[in-house]
This record gives sequence, C-alpha cells and structure tokens, in this order.
Amino acid sequence: MTTNTLRSVQFSENLSGTPSHSLIHNIDGYGFQRPEGFDFDSYEEFMSSYLTILAKRSARWTSIVRRRGTVSKSAKVKRFCRKGIPAEHRPMVWMNVSGAAQKMRENPGLYAQILKADYDPRLVETVSMDINRTFPENIYFAVSRDRNSLQRPLFNVLVAIGHKNSKVEYCQGMNFVVALMLLVMKNEEKAFWLMDTLINNILPDYYNPDMTAIKVEQEVLGELVRLRDPELHSKIERLEVPWCLVGIKWFLCLFADVLPTETVLRIWDCLFYEGPKILLRVAVTIILINKDKFMRCTNFSEATTVLRNIINDSKSVMDCHAFIQKIFTEPKSFPRAKIKKLRKECITKIR
Amino acid sequence: MKDSNSSTKDSHPPNGFARKGSSTSTEVFDNSCKVMLIGDSGSGKTCLLVRFKDGAFLSGSFISTVGIDFRNKVVDVDGTKVKLQIWDTAGQERFRSITKAYYRDANALLLLYDVTNKTSFDNIRAWLAEINEYAQEDVVIMLLGNKADMAAERVIRREEGEKLAKDHNVAFMETSAKTGMNVDLAFMAVARDLKMKKTRKPSDPSFNVAEYVTKEQQTSGCCGS
Repeated sequence: MTTNTLRSVQFSENLSGTPSHSLIHNIDGYGFQRPEGFDFDSYEEFMSSYLTILAKRSARWTSIVRRRGTVSKSAKVKRFCRKGIPAEHRPMVWMNVSGAAQKMRENPGLYAQILKADYDPRLVETVSMDINRTFPENIYFAVSRDRNSLQRPLFNVLVAIGHKNSKVEYCQGMNFVVALMLLVMKNEEKAFWLMDTLINNILPDYYNPDMTAIKVEQEVLGELVRLRDPELHSKIERLEVPWCLVGIKWFLCLFADVLPTETVLRIWDCLFYEGPKILLRVAVTIILINKDKFMRCTNFSEATTVLRNIINDSKSVMDCHAFIQKIFTEPKSFPRAKIKKLRKECITKIR
Repeated sequence: MKDSNSSTKDSHPPNGFARKGSSTSTEVFDNSCKVMLIGDSGSGKTCLLVRFKDGAFLSGSFISTVGIDFRNKVVDVDGTKVKLQIWDTAGQERFRSITKAYYRDANALLLLYDVTNKTSFDNIRAWLAEINEYAQEDVVIMLLGNKADMAAERVIRREEGEKLAKDHNVAFMETSAKTGMNVDLAFMAVARDLKMKKTRKPSDPSFNVAEYVTKEQQTSGCCGS
C-alpha cells in the first residue's frame, strides 16, 4: 500500500456517461460488453425515442441546477429523479439527495486517513479475492495494468468501507455496487461516501453478517406478490421456489449485474432519494411482468431458468423508461406503514 | 469392482429398472437430483460448474457468486437420463446462514477446497460439521481438491486431502476446472449414485461412490500418485 496510490483518483473524461455514444458499439457507454444475443434492433428502436426524452429531461434539470449549482430534496426533485437524472448531473444529484455530500463535507480528509492507516489482513484477503471477479467484461475492470483501470480504486473503496464500518466489513455484492458507483461518479472519494451513506442511512442492516434484513426483505417481497397477485404467488410457492432465494442478488447488488446498466442507474436515481421501497417495487414488478413465464413452468428448474433469464429479456427491462414507469404503476400503492408491518411479521418467519 | 451396470447398454436397463408410471428406460427421471456446490470463497465452485455444464474454462472472465445460482444439466447414465439440478453457492461465510437451510433437500454435496490455499483446506472440517448437522443421512458427499493443475502454487498435498476424506468417510478426488480433470467424473458419480439408489433391488450390491471415484479418477502430474 504505497502512499502515492492513496489520493483519490480523478477519472479522465473518456468514461462517457451518454448512452448515445454506444448505439452501434459492442461496448456500452459505461464500458460494459453487451451480452451475448443482445438485441441491437430493439435497442436502437428504443434509443431513438429515448434520446428525445433524455434531451428534454436534460433541459429541465439544467434549468433547476443552474440556479444554485446543486439540488436539495423537494417534491419537484423527487419527481425529477423518478423521471431520470441526466448522466451529466447524476453524480452531483446522487451525492446531494442521498446525504453523502453533507457527510463528505463534515469529514474532510477522512477517506485518505483511513487508507493511510494499517489494513486488517483478513479484510484485504477477502476483498482482493473479488477484485478480479467484479465486472471482468467491463473494459475498466478487466484485469490489466492500464492506468485507467478501476481495479485499484475498487479495492481502496471496499477496504475503506470495511474499516469504517467494522460491523459490516465486506459482503459479497458490495463489489458490484461500488464498481458501478465508480463508473458513474468518476471519483473515488465520492464513491466511498455514497456507499457509506447507502449502507448506514439508506439500507441500514442490508449488508450485516447475520443477513437477517436481506432475508426479511425477500419474505416481504413474497407477501407483496401475494397481495398483488395471489394466483401467481401460489404458483411460485407450488414450484417450491423459496422467496429467500429469489432476490438475494437483486437486493445485495441493487440490481447491478442483474438488469441492463441504464435500467439499474434509473433505479438508483430513485433509490438514493426514496430508499429500500424502490428495491421492493422493482422486485415485485419483475415478478409480475414475468407472470406468463412463471405460469408456464412445470417445475423448480424451469422457474430458476426464468429468473436467470431476466437480464436477457430485452423487451421488458431494456426500455428503462417504460420499466421505471411500471415500477410505480404495476405494484400499485406501497404505503410505508404497510411495508413496516410486513417486515415485522416476516421477521418471525425466518427465525 | 462392482461393475454390475456397465454390461447393459441395450434398451433393457440393469436390475430390471422400472419406475412407477414409466414404461421405457429412456424416460427422464420424474425427480431430479439436487447437487450443491459448497466450499470457501475462491475455491472454484463456479468454474467447476461451468466446465461441467459448457466444457469451457472461465479464465479471467468469471464473477463472484452472490447468493445462489442455479444450473440444470441432463446426463446419461447407462441409457437412463438423470436430471441434475445444480446449486452454485456463494462461499463467503455469512451466506451460509441462508444456504445451509437447503442442505436438507440435497442429494449430493460437492465440497471444494483450493489446493493452493491452506485456509480453504483448514475450513473443510467446519464445512463437514455443518453438513452433518443439516444434511440428510444418505447424502452423497464428495470432497474435491480443486486447482490441481497449479503444481507450483500447491500447498496441500494430495495425500492430505485423501486422509481427511478417509477420516470423515467421504469420497475424494482432486479436480481441475482448468484442464477438466475429473470434473465430469465428479458429477457423473453423483448421477450414478442417485440412479442406483432409485433402481436398486434389495438383493443387489450397493453402489459405493467413494470406491467408484477411486477407481475411475485420473491423477495430476507425471508422478501424481
């Protein structure tokens, strides 16, 4: 751990956040290789209409950002987040609506200080094992000595998070979340504070070693599906798919490496403002829009294949704009009190 | 030694195999065989599975498994189709609080360590203790020393793995997801065991998976054993 690598990295601007650059490429705007069998025709069709939406949203955002150079929480900003944050404003908006910007201001130099201190060798070993296994298909995370490689920043942020949050340490899944944050934030220290805010304030207990919160959340998912569509719920129960296994990766990776990148970022636009309810909305929506496929399953294996193939299902999840609209309409109302009550009931199920 | 089933390659299965409701030997088992891959993080569970499933080695392009991943493969055991439902689990200790609940329904557990990582080997006893607590009595357990191709980095000798397996009365092999050594055998032995359990008549000799893999396996290197 030499000190010259400790300063937070300012990434070069060749990390383009604008999807329009990628229309014809096998690599998307965030450096991800497109999956095998990627449906370019549908994607191009979607993008041609989405670009218009993006341009409109960009103009609206610019008009509210221009006044103060920043944003704070308000009904208007919440509505704007649901409609999508343009790539150029995303880092600033995420930092502000999540509360990470304030934390960073209140703790100047803390990140560098953590990285300068001694590391717990066990934590280093655990984290190191996953660095080469995080988005290897992304050009910025591929094993390389390239100066632009984000492998070292990924290691730094995960180790710093582990030291600052000794109760959580490191949980597999955090590697994918931090990696995607780095691709968007283009700044190591900001990614650190955003992750710190996420695990302490937005999704408290999610990454705890006992996994209780993550198990409860999946049982809540099951109950929400039961309320919204009893027929589908009992079908999934008959297929003997445990709710507890449906969404571990969904909830721990916050849909990174599960859904297409642009869709994940649109989910995060809402998540940093509104919290874990958003993840439940997305999970319920995924189950509901795949109803026909689940209903056709005759056994457990077929059901797991449906779950595996969600990322390849271009029509329903690639159109991120339509998908995000669906998460607010399909699961219907989602009162906070109801979720709280369900969490309380579900905790008894898993013990 | 007991090769009672390899002589029947025709349409008549050994031991007068006939399942409830099935009339021909080529019919797929109505119940599939659940195999779980367990072992420390980085021991090569996903790579072993991909090698078996797709015959490929994921050098530098595989990701850490978060939670559980499922794959299915139908294999042929002497003319009978056996459907393997394979559960690939996350190795990190905290995930065991989720995965161990499912040992109970597993027909087979493939327990991996990495021959180049001493900790992963030292943890095998703890894994076995947990298996004893949660799995069924008749579950097939196979201890696999993976990455056997990495001769220069090896820190666990083959004999150490063999002894540990013997002490705990489980089957043992060294494997390499990279070269493919013994990978198919590990899964096929499990499929064979399940098929034998389903079709064996009380008078038939029982199938011993440990003896079977001892006889069939390859060993690594020129002076492997």
